[in-house]
Amino acid sequence: MNKGRSINHNSMNEALPNFRNLGITLRILLISNGMALLLALSQASGWADVMQHLLQIATLLTPILLSAWILLWAMQPWLTQLNYWCGVLVVNVVAALITLLICYFGGELFNSLDSDNSSFSLARNMLLSVIVSSVLLMYFRLRTLALSSSVHDARLQVLRARIRPHFLFNTINAVLGIVRTQPKQAETALEDMADLFRMAMSDARDLVPLHKEIQLSRQYIALEQMRMGERLHVDWQLQDLPEDALIPQLLLQPLLENAVYHGIEPLHQGGNISVTLSRKGEELRLMVNNPRLPNGEGLHRGNKVALQNIRERLHLLFDAEAHYQVESGEDFYRVEIALPYVKVRPKLKERSA
Amino acid sequence: MSGNEPALSVFLVDDEPPARTRLRDVLTDCSEQLPLQIIGEAANGREALDKLVDMPVDVVLLDIRMPQMDGIELAQHLHKLQKPPVVIFTTAYDEYAIKAFELHAVDYLLKPIRKERLLESLMRARDAGPVQNEVLHELSPEPRKNLSSHERGKIHLIPIEQVLYMRAELKYITVRTADREYLIEESLSTLEKEFALRFVRIHRNCLVAKDAIEGFVRGGEDSAESAGWMAKLKGLDELLAISRRQQHIVKEFG
Repeated sequence: MNKGRSINHNSMNEALPNFRNLGITLRILLISNGMALLLALSQASGWADVMQHLLQIATLLTPILLSAWILLWAMQPWLTQLNYWCGVLVVNVVAALITLLICYFGGELFNSLDSDNSSFSLARNMLLSVIVSSVLLMYFRLRTLALSSSVHDARLQVLRARIRPHFLFNTINAVLGIVRTQPKQAETALEDMADLFRMAMSDARDLVPLHKEIQLSRQYIALEQMRMGERLHVDWQLQDLPEDALIPQLLLQPLLENAVYHGIEPLHQGGNISVTLSRKGEELRLMVNNPRLPNGEGLHRGNKVALQNIRERLHLLFDAEAHYQVESGEDFYRVEIALPYVKVRPKLKERSA
Repeated sequence: MSGNEPALSVFLVDDEPPARTRLRDVLTDCSEQLPLQIIGEAANGREALDKLVDMPVDVVLLDIRMPQMDGIELAQHLHKLQKPPVVIFTTAYDEYAIKAFELHAVDYLLKPIRKERLLESLMRARDAGPVQNEVLHELSPEPRKNLSSHERGKIHLIPIEQVLYMRAELKYITVRTADREYLIEESLSTLEKEFALRFVRIHRNCLVAKDAIEGFVRGGEDSAESAGWMAKLKGLDELLAISRRQQHIVKEFG
């Protein structure tokens, strides 16, 4: 069984940055150019001089950065399969080689930098490239460590938020309520519960096929409908969703659980939750909208924990490529999430098969 | 076995249909050991009050978390009945309430409900009296959403947001809404504490809804007691006297 692509397999903290991620690319650009500015500052003799030096550095830095990034972008699938330290070595070698090639063949362009000693300048530029790439890799390693340890710390708490005791005991009670008269429905309910809890206890950093998350969410809604009957309606709008899309597991279900617990349950006459999932280009969009009591007491603590957790996981997995937005009105509450369309890769399928 | 005991009459309140089915099943199981009779059931507080007014019962099994009116508030209204029933609360999970129940030795059942435990509670209920109203006040972390008034064999629920003022008169408190007045039997100081966010005291005997205050006018006698200010409320012609001690509210709300 293909259980989806595991991002962590206990090497989450030991993974190279994803060079195909927009946020990562922006960070690389920002940090390397920041370092160029530092260098320019230290070399310059006056303020006007800084700009001059910066331009000089940029004429060399930009082509190196760009070519290295394109190469790493292309190598990304292969890089992810490597051991972390091998990957670090590969990235540094790439940086050094690209520098060598560009300085060697583009020598005419850059000889203004150090015209006197070309073999020294070649070696120095390569060294600088390796230093810059090592600093970047170290930064990404520390950043991932910081983010994932916060995820780890929050896990027990999050697990409790995911398995709301209120939901657990009420559902068991409801199953007991129907077991004598509707044994078949009781069986289905217990099976749905088992699926839900298995998912809740697995690692939240895994990606799962989109249709699985939708199915799980439907099972969850079926359980709530058993309890609440006519009071709970869900309007699913699934617009030509790609078969092969992957999303973080337990992204949709907790949103629905919030909508039920804070939105529908306090409403005497119940209400309608609308779930919209659509694909727009290379982006998946997800929206959950629910009514709520006018002048309701606003967000409860449990709600915040669940939403915070989703936000952190999106940040950890997709950086700047995922968007998250909450709109809260007098009598409605809406969460919208946009995340990159990640596909199942055939290669990974083979591996896990 | 108690052969000559009259059957215990039981009423169920829970908003979830399968939860009520479960209670009925377990009560049926209990009836083998304890003569009992399920008199009726309700899905919410209002329905329960309407049914219980003409139907005295011994025990009410009452879910805590329900929309509109929670179980603890309903128990407070049930106190107004001629013959208040013994209430046994049920809950799936509610840390706050459970702590409070333990503290005040109020009986409760945890869902899923077990036959042995229910039987035990019913046996105890046979000999126990209803939970004291003061205790119920302390069980509830939030103010009630309604006041209730017993009137000619009916219980009227008065949504608290419709109340303009409450005034103590002899034994009773007059509760005034835009349409009419009701009489309730409670203490003004308890009401003041419970609804401190919504009401302000303007006189020794009177609480006024802050949102209802339209303005203040000079009038009335200037005495040791009254400062000569009167409060005008939205939708009411009647003016309410402000005491000298509470005169500062003219500045606060004026």
